[in-house]
Amino acid sequence: MAVSLSVAERLSAVGTANALELRGVTRMFGALAALTDITLTVRPGERRAVLGSNGAGKTTLFNCITGDFPSTSGTIRFFGEDVTHFPPHERIRRGLRRTYQISALFTGLSVVDNVYLACCGVSRGRFSLIRPRRDDQLVQAAENLVQAVHLTDVKDQLVAQLSHGQQRQLEIALALAGAPRFILFDEPAAGLSPTERAELIEILTGLPPHIGYIVIEHDMDVALRVVESVTMMHNGRIFKEGRPEEIESDPEVQELYLGGGHG
Amino acid sequence: MSHFIGRHPIWSLVIVIGIAILLFLIFAVWPPELEQVLGRKRIFLSALLNGITLGGLYFLVASGFTLIFGLMRNVNLAHGSLYLFGGYFGYEVANGTGSWVFALVATFVVVALLGIVLQFTIFRWMEGQDLRQTLVTIAISLILADLMLWRWGGDFYQVPMPAWLGGPVEVPLVTAVRSSGELVYLSYPLVRLVILLGAVVIGVLMWLALNRTKIGMLVRAGVDDRDMLSATGIRVQLLFLLVFAFGAGLAGFTGVVGGTFQSLQQGEDIKILLASLVVVIVGGMGSITGAAVGAVLIGLADQFGTVYMPTYAVVLTFVIMVVVLALRPQGLMRGN
Amino acid sequence: MALVEAARAPASAKPESWSWTDTFQQYPALWLLALFLLILPAFASNFVLIELFGWAMILGMIALSLMFLAGYGGMVSLVQMTVAGCAGYMIAIFGTSVMTDISLGWPWWVGVPLAIVIAVIFGTLSGVLSVRTEGIYTIMITLAIASAFYYFTLQNYTIFNGFSGFNAVRTPQAFGVEWRSPVPFYYLILFWTVVSYLAVVYVSRTPFGLALQGTRDNSRRMAALGFNVTAHRVAAYAFAALIAAIAGVLLVWHGGQISPGTAGVGPVIDILIIAVVGGLSRPIGAFIGAIIYVILRTFALDALVMVGLDGKRFQLLIGVGFLLIVLFSPDGILGLWARWRARYARGNARDGRA
Repeated sequence: MAVSLSVAERLSAVGTANALELRGVTRMFGALAALTDITLTVRPGERRAVLGSNGAGKTTLFNCITGDFPSTSGTIRFFGEDVTHFPPHERIRRGLRRTYQISALFTGLSVVDNVYLACCGVSRGRFSLIRPRRDDQLVQAAENLVQAVHLTDVKDQLVAQLSHGQQRQLEIALALAGAPRFILFDEPAAGLSPTERAELIEILTGLPPHIGYIVIEHDMDVALRVVESVTMMHNGRIFKEGRPEEIESDPEVQELYLGGGHG
Repeated sequence: MSHFIGRHPIWSLVIVIGIAILLFLIFAVWPPELEQVLGRKRIFLSALLNGITLGGLYFLVASGFTLIFGLMRNVNLAHGSLYLFGGYFGYEVANGTGSWVFALVATFVVVALLGIVLQFTIFRWMEGQDLRQTLVTIAISLILADLMLWRWGGDFYQVPMPAWLGGPVEVPLVTAVRSSGELVYLSYPLVRLVILLGAVVIGVLMWLALNRTKIGMLVRAGVDDRDMLSATGIRVQLLFLLVFAFGAGLAGFTGVVGGTFQSLQQGEDIKILLASLVVVIVGGMGSITGAAVGAVLIGLADQFGTVYMPTYAVVLTFVIMVVVLALRPQGLMRGN
Repeated sequence: MALVEAARAPASAKPESWSWTDTFQQYPALWLLALFLLILPAFASNFVLIELFGWAMILGMIALSLMFLAGYGGMVSLVQMTVAGCAGYMIAIFGTSVMTDISLGWPWWVGVPLAIVIAVIFGTLSGVLSVRTEGIYTIMITLAIASAFYYFTLQNYTIFNGFSGFNAVRTPQAFGVEWRSPVPFYYLILFWTVVSYLAVVYVSRTPFGLALQGTRDNSRRMAALGFNVTAHRVAAYAFAALIAAIAGVLLVWHGGQISPGTAGVGPVIDILIIAVVGGLSRPIGAFIGAIIYVILRTFALDALVMVGLDGKRFQLLIGVGFLLIVLFSPDGILGLWARWRARYARGNARDGRA
């Protein structure tokens, strides 16, 4: 199923291509149109928010981009490569990452195991039947990442024993494993305390500049502080795009989203 | 259907041609050359009708099985035991009261009650633990099987058939032409035709209940999305109780039916369970139409296999299952 | 799937550590057990060696292969006993038996590897058919495949000799040892049991094993981390089939015979019961379940008669016992033991060990 480009094609793509390009993406669930004709362009390193009320199609958009659900029609290009028909794991191996609204963690494994798996997923030796040594590259990467999200104290605990905030931190760590080029954050601030929110903002703004991301958020404070552009969705369509200040002060947006029944 | 034809034009053509050939084989008089290749038409027609009526039986059992799974995510591996228990119970009642019809009704009620007891005392507490429920059904089937063996032993039992169901009937399908030009029609046991008719009627009633009543709508909604069902505020446990009772009762009822034109003995519970498994794997889990399609397919495969490839009849049914699993793992009638 | 959830260690437990010798440090009882098994031939009768412990270890290995898929992979596969039966049949067909017109009489160093390879291929293909659907379908599909194999061996006479199967399957003589005499055969079984047990324990902490556990906990996330979930699951089936195949070879040598009933629906379900009763969370559970089953099987007749019940009601006993376990301790004996230890530790106000 995977189409591998030659090295030359890939190199040329990286230089000039957009990180993410959606053209006419539609997703139907039976007769229900969850996404209609989505056209979206994100540059490498760009930080964007996708906002909209519940049911606007934000998470469905993410699912189509990662390939969790195939799109009914339209094309998706990731750094110049047409990934429309790639299964999720092929897209991930090309540098795409994603977090989930409800933490999708491996509850039967320890914190460091979770991160180690994330590091393994995008490198070689996934099927290795040899136990890694203490000084193994991926083990070290996992331990470093655990430290980066301030979870070193609990690194050997089972995920099921973590607090909600710690689980959300781990959720972020999983997305940072390997060498991500573009990350999709689905409501990263959900259920966080104010201190945890501040930490989250720190982590997001502190990411290396070549890593672009899209954030879905209900919390406008968090969202607008970590992005440089905003896309507004409504009923499965994109209805406005612009800079955070523009969107915040836009009367249509205020009526539809800020005033009209947003939770 | 036009949607299907639009998206799969080649398959549609294949199906249409297949149906045309089938209709020819059924209704036309076979020329001698054809009989040399395929054997006698009477045998073909018998196998065809046996397959469809067997399919009717399988449908009755499998539909209860698939409903219980579809709504409650419970793979009820005791379904075969409920069938056999119903058969034995119906045998006793029919012999005791002399009424076949009463035996059918009484068996349905009693096995449905058994289903209510199981759902209420055991499965209710295991909501969401699919695997655990399945293991419990395995334990129940082991217990029931041994209890039944204890009570009824290893003999063959046949539920006594009422006189008005006995004997053959002439079916308006031509099997041969006598030298005098007179047409010979197929002679077929009435009881099997009645059972087929019963299966069709019950199937239609089930379809109507699922698609035209409020309860049916709730069941279908629950099959599609269980969380949504609890959000509607209806008493979900009551619905589960009803569906399990119906599925169980239907299995028991079918046991009496099966015991009438086939026989009952130890081990039949496993056989009918395996047949149900294959039927719903092929037809698609949670789908009544799927159970119907799968049942007819498997019934025909079974009978045609027995007649034309006796050594490997059973293998044919499993080959169909393997092909479906390889090409369309969700079953023939389910969407992706 | 609560039983599979129970397979994850209870909340009080620590995750398994990186070094696999730590497993033995954590559970010193395992050393005692190993020692006991090693010196058993010195004081036990042949019956105890072969019919009790030998048989339990063989069944335990097959249950171990199920535990690997169910406990680590979240896939309850009922085809493991069938894989063992397949290997057993291949041994009978490639080796010597009373059916001289079918058995090929090849030497064991050709027959055994070939039998194992064929059984592993069969197990892997079964995996391919089973892994693309949701978890709960696995049990149905594998049960259907297992019965397909049963019916096929029952009806086919050219290769499988139908209902009678193969008798007088001889265990080979090699390196000057008659391997079916009690003591050598016991050590042969013990050797492969220990190897497969250690292999499962070791693999559980390799990238492959961890990835498998990841697919158990959240297969969607695994895909979103770059794993090909289907490939991992099929590979797991292959690994489990290897263990079951080795057990199958020992199985046919143990009984000297193989027939369709060896891998019929009854034995297939028995393996599931063994694995669940022992406990799906740790590999040793498979063997705990197996020894309980073998003891029950051997002594239940007399026990039932003593209590005044018909000795033939063994299946009823198994069914009721299994029901009780699933209702009250779905994580099996291991779960009971873990809970008892936790309560004991709390009662003594000590820090709980693991």
